[in-house]
Amino acid sequence: MTKIILNGREVEADPKKPLIAACHANDAEVPHYCYHAGLTPVGSCRMCQVEVKQGEMPPRVVAACRTPVAEGMIVDTESPKAHETRRECLEFLLKNHPLDCPICDKAGECMLQDFTFDEGQAAARTDEPRRKLEKRKDLGDVIVLDQERCILCSRCVRFFDEVTGKMQLVIADRGAHSVVETFADRPLTGNYQGNVADLCPVGALTLKPFRFKARVWNLFKKASTCGECSRGCSITTEVLRGDEVKRFRPRYNADVNTWWMCDTGRFAFEHPNRADRLAGGQRRGYADSELISTEEALDQLADALGEHRAPVVIASPFLTVEEGAELLELCKQLGSEARFLSPAPNELGDEILHTGDPCPNRRGLTELGFAPVEAAEALELLAASKAALLVGERIGELVGTEGLAGLPTSLQLYVFDTNACLAPAAQLSIGVPDHTERLGTWVNVDGHRGKISAARSAPAGVRPLTSSLQTLRASIAGAEVTA
Amino acid sequence: MVVVERKELSFLERIYFPAILKGLKITMSKMFAPRFTRQYPEEPLPTNEVTRGQPRLAVNPDDTIRCVSCGLCEAACPAYAITIDGHETERFIEREPERFDIDMLRCILCGFCEEACPKDAIYMSNELELADFSRAALVYDIEKLKRPVSALQDRIDYVKKINDRWQTSSST
Repeated sequence: MTKIILNGREVEADPKKPLIAACHANDAEVPHYCYHAGLTPVGSCRMCQVEVKQGEMPPRVVAACRTPVAEGMIVDTESPKAHETRRECLEFLLKNHPLDCPICDKAGECMLQDFTFDEGQAAARTDEPRRKLEKRKDLGDVIVLDQERCILCSRCVRFFDEVTGKMQLVIADRGAHSVVETFADRPLTGNYQGNVADLCPVGALTLKPFRFKARVWNLFKKASTCGECSRGCSITTEVLRGDEVKRFRPRYNADVNTWWMCDTGRFAFEHPNRADRLAGGQRRGYADSELISTEEALDQLADALGEHRAPVVIASPFLTVEEGAELLELCKQLGSEARFLSPAPNELGDEILHTGDPCPNRRGLTELGFAPVEAAEALELLAASKAALLVGERIGELVGTEGLAGLPTSLQLYVFDTNACLAPAAQLSIGVPDHTERLGTWVNVDGHRGKISAARSAPAGVRPLTSSLQTLRASIAGAEVTA
Repeated sequence: MVVVERKELSFLERIYFPAILKGLKITMSKMFAPRFTRQYPEEPLPTNEVTRGQPRLAVNPDDTIRCVSCGLCEAACPAYAITIDGHETERFIEREPERFDIDMLRCILCGFCEEACPKDAIYMSNELELADFSRAALVYDIEKLKRPVSALQDRIDYVKKINDRWQTSSST
């Protein structure tokens, strides 16, 4: 550790990191656009200039992202000279930046907006027209580029080069004609394109699925964990008006995903936003299914399970550790073997983040004592049994509704699921909250515990799975005592 | 115990007549004075450009809406009356409202939305009447809120005049 004097205070700084990291670590705000802790600093925006006095030299203004920390450095981030230099740099950055904040999706979380509010001047001093460039440049399936808004910080260029290893974006042309482009207008490829929209300090790179869908200050944000693979990246779930999940964004976690996440996880809001959610209980009648309350359904389920010896129990891979422990107790009570459905690995796995294993809590459930079964095996087990209990989020679609439709009609099927896809086949189906609506823990492939948390409330009448299972266990135990 | 002493009435007060005449004099004088009450539903209230009536959305002469659904009026609204969802357009202005609801039962006609609007799209019109048979009908959607710029012109000019008084000159 190196000792420096930052704003008149002696602090310790990591000599392997640039000066700006030391400033940020010690609560000295230094504006920056091109600097990102996960990328190589290049010093292209010049917004992080601070006044530094070193040795016998007179104090001078340097870019904090390109200056290594040295012993005895005297740094002033708030000096009038530093402020003036930054303000002048900002004026040049704003010279060609269009005034479309009301339209721009980044407004509200835009670093240019924030620092202009802090440092910049409200009126421009030039009468020259602003640069006219392409407003809606399509860069593949995920990203739309607005070249007018771009301030050429090159974060996106460095991201593709350094993180994904494929340099797909470049800064083309020189000087005032510079623009961000793909080579020969080829669309971007790969599973990590979405990150550049988060990286972009202005609104130049926007996500197609989120474009103009919501204002960022209207989104309710909650720290959670991604459920698309066993990596379990730390994410933020963002919900609009307590109803629809609008985006998932990566959250910094040094142990798991650092700053990034894959597009599969980023755009996995198709399932949470499904229309056919199970609310409360549903009982299959002779002609039609009938809606009942969760409590009534649990009562009937307890009666039904009491009649069968050791029904097949298959849990969803989305089950949290807490729900798993509860289900394990139920399995002991029923005399069944605890199994969880483990879908076959997909081809999305790579060496960056995605593991290719679609079970977010494989490690947690295995350590609890659940045995993995594949969908085909599960169907065989179900075909050979008289009664079965399928438990957890998305279990119906993971086992496969076609496969279940082919099972003998003598099978008594009881289901806890988020959506109603199994309701026609099941004797009783009971709604459970999905992973944006409940609390719990998933253990990722490396044993890191990822917390999932509720960013919105479950549909009316839906009870948490842990509480449903507790009720179920209590009523089965009560029935045995009276018998 | 409180004893209220009553004042003895004078003769003129006891005969009652002068008091009646006094009252009649007021009645007669008001009968021929100019009237300031109004036959309200038949005779509408007078309005001018300063009237802060219900908010309305300005529509350009080429039939495009001025609103870009930036959400600033929604954020400024102290009564949470406004709900906006945007979507992408093919026009040069890339964004426009898909849904723009103002709950007129919540709206307190404060005019913050008009003040917050960066695109000169929402104005307090001179429309004041608000009555319907259900609550749902009083949540006005975008079609109910659209008004041509010509209908709002007086207010637009007035707001511009007020704003110019406060703003310093700027080339942006």
